[in-house]
Amino acid sequence: MSQPSQQDEIMAEEAGLRQEAAGIEPVSEARGLSQGQIVRKRFLGHSGAIVGLVVFAVIFVMAFTSVGYAGIPGWWKYTHEAVSPLVNDGAPTASLWPLAWGEHPFGQDRIGRDLFAMTMRGAQQSITIMVVIGLIAGLVGVVVGALSGYFRGWMEAVLMRLTDVIIIVPALLLAAVMAQLAGRRDEGSWFASFASSNGVLALGIFLGLISWVGLARLMRGEFLTLREREFVDAARISGASNARIIFKHILPNAVGVLIVNVTLTMSAAILTETALSYLGVGVKSPDTSLGLLISQNQEAFATRPWLFWFPGLFIVLICLSINFIGDGLRDAFDPRQKKFNAKKAKDADAAIPEKTPVAALDSRADDGRTAGGDRGA
Amino acid sequence: MRFSRISKAVGVAAAAALALSACASTNGGTTPSSNAAGKQGGTATVVEVNAFNTFNPNTADGNTDINSKVSYATHSGFYYIDNQLNIVHNDKFGKMEKTSDDPLTVKYTINEGVKWSDGTPVTAADLLLQWAAFSGYYNDADADGKAGTSYFSYAGDPTGLALTDFPEIGDNNRSMTIKYSKPFADWEIALGGPGIDIPAHVLAKKAGLADTQAFIDHLKSMPRGDAKAPKTADAKLKAMSDMWNTGFDSKTLPSDPSLFLSNGPFVVQSINQDQSLTMVRNKDYNWGPEAKLDEITVRYIGSSPAQVQALKNGEADIIAPQASADTLDQLKALESQGVTVEQGNQLSYDHIDLNYSGPFADKNVREAFMKTVPRKDIVDKIIKKLDPEAKPLDSQLFVPAQPAYDASAQANGSSAYADADVDGAKKLLNGATPEVRIMYNKDNPNRVDAFSLIRESATKAGFKIVDGGLGASDWGKALGKGGYDATIFGWINPGVGVSGVPQIFRTGNGSNFNKFSDPEADKLMDELIVTTDRSKQDDLSKQIDKKIWDSAYGLPLFQSVGVDAYSDRITGVKFMPNQTGVWWNFWEWAEK
Amino acid sequence: MVTYIVRRLVTAALILLGASFLVYLLTAASGDPLAEFRASSAPNKQQLMDSRSALLDLDTPAPVRYFKWLGGAAQCLVPFTGSCNLGKNIAGQPITDALGHALIQTLTLVTGAAVLAILVGITLGIITALRQYSTLDYGVTFMAFLFFSLPIFWVAVLLKEFGAIGFNNFLRNPEIPLPVSLGVGAVLGAVAVIVAGGDARRKALTGAIVFAAVAAVLIYFSVTQWFKTPGLGPVVIAIAGVGIAFAVTLLTAGLRNRKALQSALIAVGVGLVLYFVVQPLLNQATFLMVVLLAVAAVLIGMVIGYFMGGYDRGQSMRAAAITSFLVGFLIVLDRFMQAWPAYFNNSRVRGRPIATIGAGTPNIEGDFWILGLDSFTHLILPTTALILISLAGYTRFTRASMLEIMNMDYIRTARAKGLTERTVVMRHAFRNALIPVATIVAFDIGGLIGGAVITETVFSVRGMGFLFLDGILHVDPNPVMGVFICVAITAMAFNLIADLAYSALDPRVRVKA
Repeated sequence: MSQPSQQDEIMAEEAGLRQEAAGIEPVSEARGLSQGQIVRKRFLGHSGAIVGLVVFAVIFVMAFTSVGYAGIPGWWKYTHEAVSPLVNDGAPTASLWPLAWGEHPFGQDRIGRDLFAMTMRGAQQSITIMVVIGLIAGLVGVVVGALSGYFRGWMEAVLMRLTDVIIIVPALLLAAVMAQLAGRRDEGSWFASFASSNGVLALGIFLGLISWVGLARLMRGEFLTLREREFVDAARISGASNARIIFKHILPNAVGVLIVNVTLTMSAAILTETALSYLGVGVKSPDTSLGLLISQNQEAFATRPWLFWFPGLFIVLICLSINFIGDGLRDAFDPRQKKFNAKKAKDADAAIPEKTPVAALDSRADDGRTAGGDRGA
Repeated sequence: MRFSRISKAVGVAAAAALALSACASTNGGTTPSSNAAGKQGGTATVVEVNAFNTFNPNTADGNTDINSKVSYATHSGFYYIDNQLNIVHNDKFGKMEKTSDDPLTVKYTINEGVKWSDGTPVTAADLLLQWAAFSGYYNDADADGKAGTSYFSYAGDPTGLALTDFPEIGDNNRSMTIKYSKPFADWEIALGGPGIDIPAHVLAKKAGLADTQAFIDHLKSMPRGDAKAPKTADAKLKAMSDMWNTGFDSKTLPSDPSLFLSNGPFVVQSINQDQSLTMVRNKDYNWGPEAKLDEITVRYIGSSPAQVQALKNGEADIIAPQASADTLDQLKALESQGVTVEQGNQLSYDHIDLNYSGPFADKNVREAFMKTVPRKDIVDKIIKKLDPEAKPLDSQLFVPAQPAYDASAQANGSSAYADADVDGAKKLLNGATPEVRIMYNKDNPNRVDAFSLIRESATKAGFKIVDGGLGASDWGKALGKGGYDATIFGWINPGVGVSGVPQIFRTGNGSNFNKFSDPEADKLMDELIVTTDRSKQDDLSKQIDKKIWDSAYGLPLFQSVGVDAYSDRITGVKFMPNQTGVWWNFWEWAEK
Repeated sequence: MVTYIVRRLVTAALILLGASFLVYLLTAASGDPLAEFRASSAPNKQQLMDSRSALLDLDTPAPVRYFKWLGGAAQCLVPFTGSCNLGKNIAGQPITDALGHALIQTLTLVTGAAVLAILVGITLGIITALRQYSTLDYGVTFMAFLFFSLPIFWVAVLLKEFGAIGFNNFLRNPEIPLPVSLGVGAVLGAVAVIVAGGDARRKALTGAIVFAAVAAVLIYFSVTQWFKTPGLGPVVIAIAGVGIAFAVTLLTAGLRNRKALQSALIAVGVGLVLYFVVQPLLNQATFLMVVLLAVAAVLIGMVIGYFMGGYDRGQSMRAAAITSFLVGFLIVLDRFMQAWPAYFNNSRVRGRPIATIGAGTPNIEGDFWILGLDSFTHLILPTTALILISLAGYTRFTRASMLEIMNMDYIRTARAKGLTERTVVMRHAFRNALIPVATIVAFDIGGLIGGAVITETVFSVRGMGFLFLDGILHVDPNPVMGVFICVAITAMAFNLIADLAYSALDPRVRVKA
């Protein structure tokens, strides 16, 4: 409970799924629009998500263009490793009035490295970790979830037990092992040599390889529900292969849940990286990450606060924007969720003739086995 | 939390006694009067990083700083070491005298009236137990540990006492005399202090022996262990050593009070596991400096910011956090609310060593590289904020606190490397661009920053620097294994201790990681370890220092800085460079 | 059902076996146990390394060591023999002891935080769901995500600086300057405007009332130096009690249920009389007594409700029971406040009550109230930190779950029947929305045992997280395994409980045996 994990969120989501809404109401805004159009429209209508998207885009562009990436030089004059003479005793030179950027806008650390460059490099690293984790967790999660949910039987049994094992192995321990492997460069294994030159990428891959479990459970739940639906039967009768059914028919219907939870996993990933760097098993200096920067400089909190505030600000900004984007996506992808207004709902309900709850429960009874199957497996 | 600190502390404590050997000069038999201001009585709360876990701090596994400090406060002995690194004899406890130089013979006599807190007198048997444990006399385990037995698992260095024969006990069990087969430079701190911490009568009883006399008789009857002819383990001695090794381990206050007997100024009163430990004054104690406080509470706080905030909030009175410029600034800001901050040099120092192989096989390349190391810049940026007076360390064997430092620094040729000389290095390199892999501990910010600065400067001279930093758990393992050309790390003990010198610098020795080899230096070192005369020791050390510098061995960078701070409630705290830290004069602590 | 549980348990045991093997190997591979000796130049370095190797049995390959460990651990399964052997840590302490101690530390730290986070999180989630896309919703969402994004060691440093050091400084002379009182009032008033529902006039009125009340209370506190000698007294308890009676009745039965309201008000009256009666008793209080008194309070409330009766006796009983419990809580709170000056001036506290570290003041002595306050002052900061960061999860879930439920057909049916909004929300929606939340809570409780590594570190509490981390740092598998086993077993047990509870709570879900 050190950090509310996205894991929990995914589990709750999963729990929520088990009691899916009864009949899906016709959504008025859906008329004449494709799913993509509806989602886009709803997403663009979510002001929090739009602000989040803009903020994230700005940070992304700034981080990757300013100090350069993968050997391509950036427009900022310093790199995160270059040492330059201390200006103004390392205090930030940027000022709001008169608006000036100065030599070291965010200040310098004690040996004279430019904090702006370091923060940008850190943001790069954090974003990289985030994206890598999102990709890997999404990919593995979908594959495992889809296979076990679609084929069931022994495949499900094996994959889900594997998931159970991974879910209870502590992430901290895995990260410690990972950090140990990455720090060991004289052993000559391909992994060590890869990890030592791409520390952050290796960390991301590793964390990605353990954070797919929640997603896999969730996707399995989705697949269990969807594979029993009429359109899947129809496809099967018309001779579609399993692969085709999975990719063309079921997956597009599960993509909402997937995207939403991948974004949430990503925002949790940044915090995981921060926590691991704080505990000394994450990114290692002289390379840097946002988490490492604030944990290195936590003692400077009262004396040289800029070393602490700027990286901290970026962590919070990235995290907030991703969370809001995820929130917007969740609202956009969930066809059942619409603007709910108690008063209006009451009025509207009074006007619209009731659907019989009996029918609703019946339709539920069909999927009822979903949940039951979930437990029984 | 500073993990580096914890692991460092563990290693340091093991070496603490050794470190002192060279710096400690005899302050012949004076017992200082404690005349500091402050009233009698009161309480103080001291912060430590690690949690207490054993009443025997001498075992390999119990040897953490906190155990040693608690033991220091609850036991007394023939001497203690003050913050000038003098050995101060405690004549009220007993007398420790050299009765002969050849063979070196030392006689320890314990005064009447010195007793454990259960009323049993402290006798030569207690000292004999310490000797048996510290000397490794009975061990006969062979090199692979397959045959024979290692009885007492002692954390310290047994080389000195290993030279002694079974002691002679006399004066009605009040005195003990030991004879060394060879002169031993550090005889004064080999035995009998700063605390005689394990009571022989308790150990004997717990190990199933009849009484203390049976204990002495049994030890006497046992021959010296011989690793070449291992024997089956002696059951009685094994029982005793097992008791010594683990019998006093406890994270809570044992229900049996004989397990935590005191013969010093304080006695442990209560332990709140992993939270705090409280000691109260030992009512009987009058054989040594007497404490002013009635009660000392130790609390465990890992992280430095948390320590500072605890001090600021009045939950702690005395702290010694890991020093950093920011911690120091925060503490200085507290001076307005009456906090006193003290800082000083510690006995450890960071240095960069060059391997005598690879690109550095050529002396010119080594010299060129040394010229590029911006020692002044490193000190300015890493240490100056902590200690405005800081200068690069200019000797491989001495620290500035030692009188011989200045002379040695002037003569050893260190002045050539006072600051970075990129042009000079370029000239020596003559257009070559050697690739140098530097290994260091990535989890130590000082070393990371030193590396960054050296890389910046060396690259200018044409070196291709490869970042060979490793994580905290790996860099130590990689030492001496190759895979790097230069390494930045710290020596904690032997750089400043005579018996440690050959360990690092003699050809083929265990800690000679960069394979330095100089026959003349070897000869000088062989002479050094059997020299008991201090001025002669210094002369030899100076010559060795020069030999090391002449061969372009590498560079010492800076001495570590330590900080302690105490609140306005407390007075009498003084900085101490060695591992005892502020505890060295705990009896002078008092409430204002 | 039984077959199902048995099958689950067997699978769980197999998973545990597999995962523990993995964890053991990983720990053994996670570092160099001899690292601390490598850079040492002590002459007896080799001997030290040998002794550590022997202690950790490093010559045996890790997989074999695992089975040795398993042999010891398996004894724990044999009941009543007391021969549970999980090995020892490097410091020589048996892991079973270390675990017992760490578990207590961790539970003290996280229990309060978890309970409060769940309560506050669910409340906020429901409120934000009912006001979806309002300023309040956006505000809470923003704050929840913000706190979720903050690194906890940062939160901890800030809390210590302002919550402990700043507040303690303030307590030296607890006077609140007038502008501050007015400012705080204005801020809270503005918050009230956002939170309050209804039209602009009603919002403005609520805001004004809150502003006036807060400012007045703060000025009163300042003038009377309330923070030095706090207390509620019978008058405040009476006023607050009446408020509680109305609020509880509103939520449980609706104000139209006069009998319920009357029961609740009578409960307040009885509570006030008892306030004077129990004071001497409370001076001798023990923990058990306070628990018994709480039970008694609930019983008294139920009796009052029973005799008031009304058309729905159950509702009256519920309203009165909850009210009397809360009034009882106020009385206990008042008694704690009475003990405050004594605690404040305790020679070990020295007028700086709020602590930044540890779980208690060393060597403090006192009665139940003093010790209770001591725990409170030590736990308040870590608890706050934990609540802040874990609030986001619960708020977001409850909100999502509630939104989904509010769109369900049966809710519409309920409305169509003409039920009041209160009944619809409290009876039909709220309970069903809690079902998925309940599973999350179960999962979380399983995870709680693992401790809060970073929080423990910054607040110097040596709980499970510390034990685990310390084990990893020393590459000592025994403590790591001990913590892992505890966490895994609780997690799996609660997982099972969650599944069973789920099928019990939601009749649509059936456990398939």
